[in-house]
Amino acid sequence: MFPPRLTERDPDASIRETDTDAAVARFSAVQKGYVQDPFVRYFVPRPHLQHPRPPLINVGTYLRGTAIDELVDEWLVQSQSVGLQCQIVSMGAGSDTRFWRLATGKHKDTLARYIEIDFPEVTGKKAMAMRKSRDLNEVIGIGATDVRMSNGGIGVQTKYQLLPADLRQPPSTTFTKLLATPLWEGDSPLLSPSLPTLLLFECVLAYMEPTASDAILRWFVDYSSSGGSPLGAIVYEMFGLEDAFGKVMVNNLKSRNVSLPGAAPYPTVDSLPLRFLNTGFTAARALTLREIWKSYISPEELERISTLEMLDEVEELDLVLEHYAVTWGLLLPNPDAAAQSQWGGWGLKRKNPCT
Amino acid sequence: MPSDLDRQIEQLTRCEPISEEQVKRLCLKAREILIEEGNVQVVDSPVTICGDIHGQFFDLMELFKVGGFCPETNYLFMGDFVDRGFYSVETFLLLLALKVRYPERITLIRGNHESRQITQVYGFYDECQRKYGSSNVWRWCCEVFDYLALGAIVDGSVFCVHGGLSPNLQSIDEIRAIDRKQEVPHDGPMCDLLWSDPDDIAGWGLSPRGAGFLFGADITKQFAHYNAIDLIARAHQLAMEGYKLMFDRTIVTVWSAPNYCYRCGNVASILELDEHLSQEYKVFQHAPLDVQSIPAKRPPADYFLIDTSSKSDHLRPVLFATTTTSFALPGPVIRAYRVSQTTTPYRHPIIGRCPLVPPPHGLEGIIDL
Repeated sequence: MFPPRLTERDPDASIRETDTDAAVARFSAVQKGYVQDPFVRYFVPRPHLQHPRPPLINVGTYLRGTAIDELVDEWLVQSQSVGLQCQIVSMGAGSDTRFWRLATGKHKDTLARYIEIDFPEVTGKKAMAMRKSRDLNEVIGIGATDVRMSNGGIGVQTKYQLLPADLRQPPSTTFTKLLATPLWEGDSPLLSPSLPTLLLFECVLAYMEPTASDAILRWFVDYSSSGGSPLGAIVYEMFGLEDAFGKVMVNNLKSRNVSLPGAAPYPTVDSLPLRFLNTGFTAARALTLREIWKSYISPEELERISTLEMLDEVEELDLVLEHYAVTWGLLLPNPDAAAQSQWGGWGLKRKNPCT
Repeated sequence: MPSDLDRQIEQLTRCEPISEEQVKRLCLKAREILIEEGNVQVVDSPVTICGDIHGQFFDLMELFKVGGFCPETNYLFMGDFVDRGFYSVETFLLLLALKVRYPERITLIRGNHESRQITQVYGFYDECQRKYGSSNVWRWCCEVFDYLALGAIVDGSVFCVHGGLSPNLQSIDEIRAIDRKQEVPHDGPMCDLLWSDPDDIAGWGLSPRGAGFLFGADITKQFAHYNAIDLIARAHQLAMEGYKLMFDRTIVTVWSAPNYCYRCGNVASILELDEHLSQEYKVFQHAPLDVQSIPAKRPPADYFLIDTSSKSDHLRPVLFATTTTSFALPGPVIRAYRVSQTTTPYRHPIIGRCPLVPPPHGLEGIIDL
């Protein structure tokens, strides 16, 4: 008899699996009418068998999506108003559908480039979904057979780019090669240093060591500064994990082999903007999902949301929403008065003055 | 010789569901007992008052460890037995079996989750389907819910209700006039009793829950004065410290689901009223989970607590009642206890250690909320 073989589990697999959670949650929020997203079903495993998630999760998914949508839309509007196209780089994008929603939305012509970066296992899965779904590859403007799945990417020269990389590697090796060097002979680099660039980090940096995430931000600060163009960044993740709720979350995630080294430096909402201010950004702000729920959603929308499902409990919802935040940072390489007036107002707008 | 019911209680105490046929008979028997109870059930002290349990079976065992098992201790559970936790079936059926076995020793009143509509959203319906393969058990349990009392009064002085007060009810006698044997309505006095919350406002306010009302100190004190009661005990709201006294101690929230939903990190409490109605709040923590009894082949995406610090399987002495708070206030003596966390799985005096049954579904992960 051989002793049972102990199989080593890839420690990153647990982090990658959190993406399935997010996709299923978004699919549930779509089914329940919180958000509209005709594309998410293509990224959910066996969508017809998925049960809707509890109202608390649906509300959280709605708030996360709505807040980030607003910031992204406003970035596109600002770019358009200064007569420029802009680029978006979504880090740890997983199965996010934002590109397809933007590319079929009213600001689609403002988008010069949309780049998604994630583990090769994730991008490979995503490329496979694109190969299978006509609705997805039509938006990109390619046929299913064009998706060649080279090294986990889709290997096609389009506005949309799906790139495999481990974000924890030094940016001087990953980003410099992927974004700042032409991928195709005779082409320009994927990312132009002279266009307004927006970075998205949804539940990514918390899983990384702070030194690695700071290095990413600094690389983009340097790159945008070299071309003199505005740089924006949005981080959405959990924080404040030192209280009773946070400690339970850390313990629970440990049992899923997930640790959150990147959340440690941020015990309070006030500490969150420091992530940007310490890496060269010129302005930054953070709001918890609870603050967004109370004051940054219009009364009409709140009314609509409240009719979708019976939300029986407020204390737990508040407790959970208090531990997630949207933080945004802005870098204006030439912060003159004109740039300030054009870009300085970028951020979530209060919509519910009575609360 | 133990009766069938005693055997069922033993089985349920091991967190093993009883058969569908046994559930049917238990529910019928329970209805016969509950139909005789008033809307506001009269209860004698001493009694231990408990708040929401929400299917957290092993935490209910912690509660019994702290408060004593039934029938040695008289209990009054203020509703929300089911939904959200992994073991609503075993939790509710155990409490119901105890009710049928010791009707004078345990009182169950209705919470807002004891409803057909809410249980279809928050887990009890799905759990019945999963464990019995049909909705029969859910249906029979819901029929029992319709017979549960809406409140209780201890020695004429402590009014117990799941949620709170209603603008349509000035007196406890008016509650007695409600026809309670129905699904919880969307509004009206019966709904308010199960859904309302005290709040730091004057008068009445709209509830963010979409049902019931918010009521202030003035309303609470008026109700207490008019009905000659000393205290309103209620549940319904998560209290991170296990209980929360408000409005000069005219009302208290008792919360009995520690680490609510396996993620809130709160402690829980029970309120012991002695024969003089002195209040003792016993605070307790959640049950440690036995790592060895959870199979390695769990679906990895489940969000389920394993307290990795409690791997040991051997029994350790349980420390009770380390006093942390005492109130030297006029009125009834109030003492609060904190019970240190035990590091052993629940050991029933007769049956021994409960095997932990792995949940078929984990609670929803909130990692990427």
